[in-house]
Amino acid sequence: MSALSSRLFEREVIVCVGAGGVGKTTVAATVALQAALSGKRAIVLTIDPARRLANALGLAELGNQATRVELPDAPGELWAMMLDLKRSWDEFITRTVSTEHRDAILRNRFYQTLSSSLAGSQEYIATEKLYELHSSGRWEVLVLDTPPTQNALDFLDAPRRILDFLGNKPLRRLLAPALVAGRFGLRLFQMGGKAILEGLSRLTGIETLEELARFLVEIQPTYDAFKERAAKVRELLASDRAAFLLVTTAHGTPVEEAISFHRMLVEAKTNVAAVIANRVHVDHLGELSLPSPEELADELLREGVPDSGQPALSERLARTLREMRALASLDARNLERLAASVHPTPQVRVPRFPADVYDLAALRMVADHLFSRS
Amino acid sequence: MSRLARRLHVVIGKGGVGKTTVSAALGLQLSRAGRRVLVAEVRVQQIPRLLGAEGRGYEIVRIADRLEAISLDPKEAMREYALMRLHSKLLVRSLLENRVVTAFLGFIPSLPELVMLGKLLHCVRTGEWDTVIFDAPATGHGLTFLGVPQALRDAVPPGALRSEADWMQEILVDSTATAVELVTLPEELAVNETLELAEKAGQGLGLPLGRVLLNRHVPLRFSDEELKRLEVGIASEKLAAASRAAREHEIRARRSRHFEERLRSSLSLPLVTLPMLHPERAFGRAEIEALAERIEAAS
Ligand SMILES: Nc1ncnc2c1ncn2[C@@H]1O[C@H](COP(=O)(O)OP(=O)(O)O)[C@@H](O)[C@H]1O
Ligand SMILES: Nc1ncnc2c1ncn2[C@@H]1O[C@H](COP(=O)(O)OP(=O)(O)O)[C@@H](O)[C@H]1O
Ligand SMILES: [Mg+2]
Ligand SMILES: [Mg+2]
Repeated sequence: MSALSSRLFEREVIVCVGAGGVGKTTVAATVALQAALSGKRAIVLTIDPARRLANALGLAELGNQATRVELPDAPGELWAMMLDLKRSWDEFITRTVSTEHRDAILRNRFYQTLSSSLAGSQEYIATEKLYELHSSGRWEVLVLDTPPTQNALDFLDAPRRILDFLGNKPLRRLLAPALVAGRFGLRLFQMGGKAILEGLSRLTGIETLEELARFLVEIQPTYDAFKERAAKVRELLASDRAAFLLVTTAHGTPVEEAISFHRMLVEAKTNVAAVIANRVHVDHLGELSLPSPEELADELLREGVPDSGQPALSERLARTLREMRALASLDARNLERLAASVHPTPQVRVPRFPADVYDLAALRMVADHLFSRS
Repeated sequence: MSRLARRLHVVIGKGGVGKTTVSAALGLQLSRAGRRVLVAEVRVQQIPRLLGAEGRGYEIVRIADRLEAISLDPKEAMREYALMRLHSKLLVRSLLENRVVTAFLGFIPSLPELVMLGKLLHCVRTGEWDTVIFDAPATGHGLTFLGVPQALRDAVPPGALRSEADWMQEILVDSTATAVELVTLPEELAVNETLELAEKAGQGLGLPLGRVLLNRHVPLRFSDEELKRLEVGIASEKLAAASRAAREHEIRARRSRHFEERLRSSLSLPLVTLPMLHPERAFGRAEIEALAERIEAAS
């Protein structure tokens, strides 16, 4: 099994992607920690750290604040930031939209969709924030932990969706003249798409149509700024200054997702540094055969350990080993499929620890498995 | 049994905790207890496969006696909703094939959730099934789903969308009709999220809460004394491996107990533990059966 080398930190931007709950946040924090230990000024942008991990990183409730994590033995620096996605959107709008339009946009219901529930909006603003921090030049290595998506592919799709949302020309053409002319409701039905608009208004009500028209008109002057910015973000992520780490567990569904996500990343010509299989069940027996309760009973006798209890200790031990092997071999089969599908991208495995990973000591343990000691 | 069987069970929790697994097991258990059951999932079709049947698009799939499954799809649900409103297949088709219209509909906050929830609750209303089980999307998105009717009632003036929201909300908040089942794991993150979820779904959205299903629960198996005896100077390789496995098992078991107690003391809801299973091959029908029996025994 391979491991990551500190050459990874020649990249300025490292993005951890994968399905929800697989360990993206854990891996992102570990990678930033290791970067700091190898002498870099590093920051991890986390989205949804477990509370105890957030505490361990010294992250207060306050979002979007870079916080230094004290690491007395590190030649570099470790920083962390908890991303507040809604606030990042508001800040982004405030930065890019002229003051006269700003408040109306922030109040518009369609801006609420854009900034919270629209598919891809979280991914978009997370990469946007990454770009902003990267441009500041304060850090040498930036590690981005991505939001949990329903579909891992949302991440690559995000900028396109957002731009579609903002730049939908036919829709704008249809609605804008009506709005500009005022008396929206009346005008609407005198226009070309009468039947369509009538049908639509029966589905959703006329007020909704009006509000959307208003939003599209208001956001218009900033569309180009959005587009330019999205292009730059995409350029950075596709360049050799960036690397992706694809995180998964060894479970069936996440492995399937990782395989298809890997294909998309490769097709998008991004640089996938490694596929990380996290929480892999290990078989402590290794190559040894599974012992029967009788065999264990004999060994207990030889070691002078009483085979007591109900059921007997030997039986409970045999059962525990059997369960361990079943979990490990199921994982191994899934990981073989993964390895074959993502070849030649290196695959790195991190074992499943008996307890959650929520402090710096545990992150160091993860680092020992992720990075080679050389 | 009857105390716990409602017309709608919403199965909710963080990604990967076992919502789909629990939905399938609950479906199996209730259908065996004699109820006609429909299990609904969003955009995917995992339930039929888990139970050894084949999924077919958006049609209802028969899985076993009195047990059926459906996959909710935003496009399909939108089409049905539009048909209900406009009463003309022709008009619906020309509308929904129009690029401008689809773009527009895509922008309306939570419209896909609304029409899918509408479809789901329509199934509850028809009486064709005694129980509908909803394998909800993961936490945040699942809450969005359940919160759509209320959000619309707050945001939209009386009219088409508003009256949809009204009848839907009525079913959702009715404690004789609906139960929100909270699936979780014996892990810090999952348990914290469950407590938040219970708060947001219960107090926040006014939904009746059902049970907590603590999945992948590991039973206590070794005493401290046994572990200590196994720790020192074991020469046998196999016994040394067994000792490590036993220690790890016990860490998990004690965490299971710890989180079980925490859930019991923080939430005054019935709690069912579902054991961690160790299938030799893939997780499938046999495992679902075992969990269904566990749920039945606890009901
Ligand atoms: N190798 C591991 N062994 C045991 N627990 C782990 C491991 N990696 C992560 N965890 C735990 O799994 C949970 C989910 O991890 P997290 O990094 O938050 O996932 P994600 O960000 O992908 O949702 C956390 O409670 C974390 O402590
Ligand atoms: N009790 C259990 N024991 C062992 N594995 C389980 C158990 N419950 C679920 N799993 C496995 O965990 C994974 C996630 O379960 P799933 O039901 O798909 O979760 P969700 O629908 O919440 O994302 C699946 O691979 C499933 O087989
Ligand atoms: Mg995370
Ligand atoms: Mg599921």
